[in-house]
Amino acid sequence: MTADQVVLAIECDPAQPAACAPANTNELFETPTLFSIGGFGVNRAMLLMVLAALVVIALLLAAYRRPRLVPTRFGVMVEGVVGYVRDEVAVGVIGPEGVRYFPYLLSLFLFILVGNLFGITPLVNFPVTSRMAIPAFLALVTWVIFVILGFARNGFKYLRDIVWPSSVPLALRPLVGLIEFFSTFLLRPLTLAVRLFANMVAGHMLLSVLMVGGLIFITRFDGTSVLGVLWFALGIPIFAFEVFVAILQAYIFTLLAAVYIQTSLHPEH
Amino acid sequence: MELLAQATGVTGNVEALKSAIAVMGYGLAAIGPGIGIGIVVGNAVQAMARQPEAAGMVRTTMFLGIAFTEALALIGFVLFFLA
Repeated sequence: MTADQVVLAIECDPAQPAACAPANTNELFETPTLFSIGGFGVNRAMLLMVLAALVVIALLLAAYRRPRLVPTRFGVMVEGVVGYVRDEVAVGVIGPEGVRYFPYLLSLFLFILVGNLFGITPLVNFPVTSRMAIPAFLALVTWVIFVILGFARNGFKYLRDIVWPSSVPLALRPLVGLIEFFSTFLLRPLTLAVRLFANMVAGHMLLSVLMVGGLIFITRFDGTSVLGVLWFALGIPIFAFEVFVAILQAYIFTLLAAVYIQTSLHPEH
Repeated sequence: MELLAQATGVTGNVEALKSAIAVMGYGLAAIGPGIGIGIVVGNAVQAMARQPEAAGMVRTTMFLGIAFTEALALIGFVLFFLA
């Protein structure tokens, strides 16, 4: 992008790199290596990922270490989230045996939630789930769980029901079976990961363009930029919307993981 | 891609044309799921209004329907990155 395209009708000042040549969108997601341990470079995204796990552990420890008969307000809040994941997601979707998968679903939900909310946390400002590796790994773990569960519970019948569904007319079976095979074993993990990744990337870009872009315009033109103020003002409702998206995406990821586990346990439904 | 560039009379940066077409492809891929999600949510709202006591079940099923419909748009998103 050439400099004259960037700032409308204002002379581009090469001494102000932020206004003259704004960052590439890829740079929003690149985290330079900070230090290395035994040849492995550690960057900001990795530290944030560990921090997200620690936040989840600390949250649950603080709420459940000393259970009280009359819980504190914080305890009620955490209990509400935990209870919702157990009753509505684990048991509600999978059935009574869903309690077995509840710990996995809860860790999934809380880790993704904290990772998503990092995107709108002041001073952190980076959703760790917008790095493809993290949603991809979580989706891969879910994939491994539901495929192994399907074969362990139903044996070879699990695969046969997918590629040769008996509820479909004979002429359509090869076609439906092929579609079902691809959708179960390839598209399920792919869409699970990409849904979370895409939502977080879009949210992070939107917030960066509106709020950081607005701030750059305001500071660059000494507060005379109406456009900068407008951009920044537009960023505030988007910020609130991102809170909603962060919670919704964590919920959808957990819900779909539960549904995939349920279809592996009872493939006929 | 070179054929397309010749056919449309574009000379020079073929890579830019490629990414422009990828962007348009993503836009096209988003039309169908957009309509589909509208239908899913619309019917879910109708179901919840008719039977508020079934709202919890309808909501879960609605999110599932959205997730499956959205898959097409997400594949478009991936192709947009691959192109």
